[in-house]
Amino acid sequence: MTRVPALRQLQLLFAMRLTGLRNSVVRNPAQYLLGTVLLALVYWGLFTATRRGVRFVFGFLMLGNTDIAEAVIQRSLESFFLISMLGVAFSVLTTAIHTLYSSEDLPFLLSQPVSATQVFHLKVAETYMSAALMPAFFTLPVLMAVGIERQAMLAYYPLAFAAVLALYALPVVAGCLIALLLMRVAPAGRVKEVATGLSVILAAALIFGLRFLRPERLTTMSMEEMNVLLRQLASFEIGWLPTSWTSQAVWGALEGRVTGGAYLLAVLSLLSLSLVAWLAAIAYKEGWIRALDSKRPKLDPRNIPAPYWERRLQAFGHTGAIISKDLRLLLRDPTQWSQLLVLIALAGVYLVSIGSIQLEGFESQRFRDAIGTMNIMFMGFLLSGVGIRMAYPIVSLEGEGFWLLRTGPLRARQIVMSKFWHTLPIMAILGTGLGVAAARLIDVSPSLAFVSPFAGLCAAVATTGLGVGLGAAFPRFNATSPSEIPMAAGGLLYMALSLLYALLMTLLLVWPAWRTLQNPSLFIWSTLTGQLLLLSVLALTLITTLTALLFGSHKLEWYEPGR
Amino acid sequence: MIEVHALAKHYGKIQAVKSVSFTAQKGQVLALLGPNGAGKSTTIKAITGLIRPSAGSVKLAGFDVVKQPVLAKAKLGYVPDRPYLYLKLSGRELLRFLAQLRGVSDAEKKSQHWLEFFGLQNFANELIETYSHGMRQKLTFIAALLHEPEVLVIDEPMVGLDPRASRQVRSLMREYANEGKTVLLTTHSMEVAEEVADRVLLVNHGMIAAEGTLVELQRRINDDRADLEAIFLRLTEEAQLQPAEPEVSRSRMASD
Repeated sequence: MTRVPALRQLQLLFAMRLTGLRNSVVRNPAQYLLGTVLLALVYWGLFTATRRGVRFVFGFLMLGNTDIAEAVIQRSLESFFLISMLGVAFSVLTTAIHTLYSSEDLPFLLSQPVSATQVFHLKVAETYMSAALMPAFFTLPVLMAVGIERQAMLAYYPLAFAAVLALYALPVVAGCLIALLLMRVAPAGRVKEVATGLSVILAAALIFGLRFLRPERLTTMSMEEMNVLLRQLASFEIGWLPTSWTSQAVWGALEGRVTGGAYLLAVLSLLSLSLVAWLAAIAYKEGWIRALDSKRPKLDPRNIPAPYWERRLQAFGHTGAIISKDLRLLLRDPTQWSQLLVLIALAGVYLVSIGSIQLEGFESQRFRDAIGTMNIMFMGFLLSGVGIRMAYPIVSLEGEGFWLLRTGPLRARQIVMSKFWHTLPIMAILGTGLGVAAARLIDVSPSLAFVSPFAGLCAAVATTGLGVGLGAAFPRFNATSPSEIPMAAGGLLYMALSLLYALLMTLLLVWPAWRTLQNPSLFIWSTLTGQLLLLSVLALTLITTLTALLFGSHKLEWYEPGR
Repeated sequence: MIEVHALAKHYGKIQAVKSVSFTAQKGQVLALLGPNGAGKSTTIKAITGLIRPSAGSVKLAGFDVVKQPVLAKAKLGYVPDRPYLYLKLSGRELLRFLAQLRGVSDAEKKSQHWLEFFGLQNFANELIETYSHGMRQKLTFIAALLHEPEVLVIDEPMVGLDPRASRQVRSLMREYANEGKTVLLTTHSMEVAEEVADRVLLVNHGMIAAEGTLVELQRRINDDRADLEAIFLRLTEEAQLQPAEPEVSRSRMASD
């Protein structure tokens, strides 16, 4: 038997992955086409926005200095790279644990006549692709726009993109190293929980950090203040950060130069990626993994009775049984409870944003009420965003265990309704709570203070109905994580319909809001017209909710697993 | 009782099952045998209501699986070939959930009995994710038996079971049928089929190739000393030697 050279082994491993990808594209062309169209739209949006931004900075009359304009663009690029890097860092930890240690093909690959180091090179590359490819893809239109606006040489494009690819390798390396460490120190069987918790805390800190900067202040600045800010930004350079090397590399590439920063970045990223693959292989061979092992069973033979809350839910029959099971899974599964943390973080950011609106200079109640009306629409949008994480995946989260319900004596309608009642309380508390809190923070007039929580509750009911219904109509029981579930046609349909619902609801409430603006002391809801409008919102909510739930039930009844 | 009449299932142009009919009586263990890709799993999925037949009907204890799914499934216990369960529930919590879903009276006592029968009582309060494959398979058996179904459908019953559990399951299937219930199992183990099945149904290319008791099948191949493995090999080889059916006739069979 001839020994296959190491490089050829690596080549074969990558070729196997590419064949898998090609087969997947060939078998699901519509899905990939839809995804490509969506990405193209996002790409176009980023490209256009960046071009306008670059033109604005260079065309800003008071700037009058090309060097400062270039420095501003460089600092802006650095900030963009930094945010994208943090985005990579957010997702890389859980990805690294999955690809490096718990992916299903790992035992197969390690049993092949290929060195473990080669296998882990492939696995590190997979981690990189999963965590960094999307941020890299979204960086491409920004670089393209800068290149076109600055009339860059042709060599700029590959050089600049290579610099960014090298930059995003660094958080991947950091994530892999933390994953390696966690595998050793995290409590047995709890590594995924610890990693998920860390990732969510990191993301929440990032969001709150950005909010702390209060970017909305830019819109209230005078031209002179803006000029001062841009000059300060231009001089704010932290040379030792890799983002700074990247922006230097990009700027050098504009002139067709390869800078020292570019070389440093390339060498550092390639070496560190290779090093981490080597370390992972050693850790694997040395049996360093402890945290993936199951906990030692306690061997408790007691017949522990059902807790009080579960016995209370039993009164609701099938629905109660499914809700108590889903509650347990929600609190125990890190992929589910982490969504709750994200929800709390989102609500916090929303309220901080509302609270930071400069209302001190505007004593007029009319202005507060105008903001309060806008808030109703934004609340609908926020609940729509929460629904895609909380409501839409809930049926698909049954996963491969769906056969237990499918072969049980119950109709799809009962399953869908159980999921609806399971999700509604969380959404309703959020919607109503946001309505009350936002109305208080803005200090709106009594009419709007009444309708704000009402609108929040209605939006919560409708988005839950739409999410659960459409999630049942387009289930993905084989998804590997909840975030993967809405990434398909059904998820897009949900987003479009829930945003449409928020718009329609706001339109229905515009007239009473307008009357309130004219006369803040008027309690519009005591008039017949006001009550009819409330009923219209209620009818819209019920029609949206019931139609979606019925549609989902019908489709789920006819659902068949793939052959 | 399981009554399958002219069952057909196609996925696009692919005919997985072509007009299959059979009956499994009360008090009978019926083994469904066949090579890989013969259509056994599709037949099982149609019987358990996991997929809808393209043509034909399936009745469980007299209830049509498509037209009266709730009544039919109330009579069904199912053990799939791969025991996918809710990993973040404990074994006891899963059984409690399924007992509520199926309205089982005295569920705690019955759960405890089956847990002790399969030797899982010490692990019942642990999360299923900590269970081995065999333990999960045993738990799936308990889940299928908890409501004492009239029809028990088992897909590959011995996968992952240790020799002791394997023996337990074999005698369990036999005793369950002796109580007047119906047991349908698919297996690749000829020994298991020979030991527990009253009748054997050989499926090949989505059709029934042969049906009968061991003696009847021996007669069919004119060898009264042949065991089930020899019969299986002979009949599947015969089928392979026959010329392949053209697609047109396959489609016609599906529409019949």
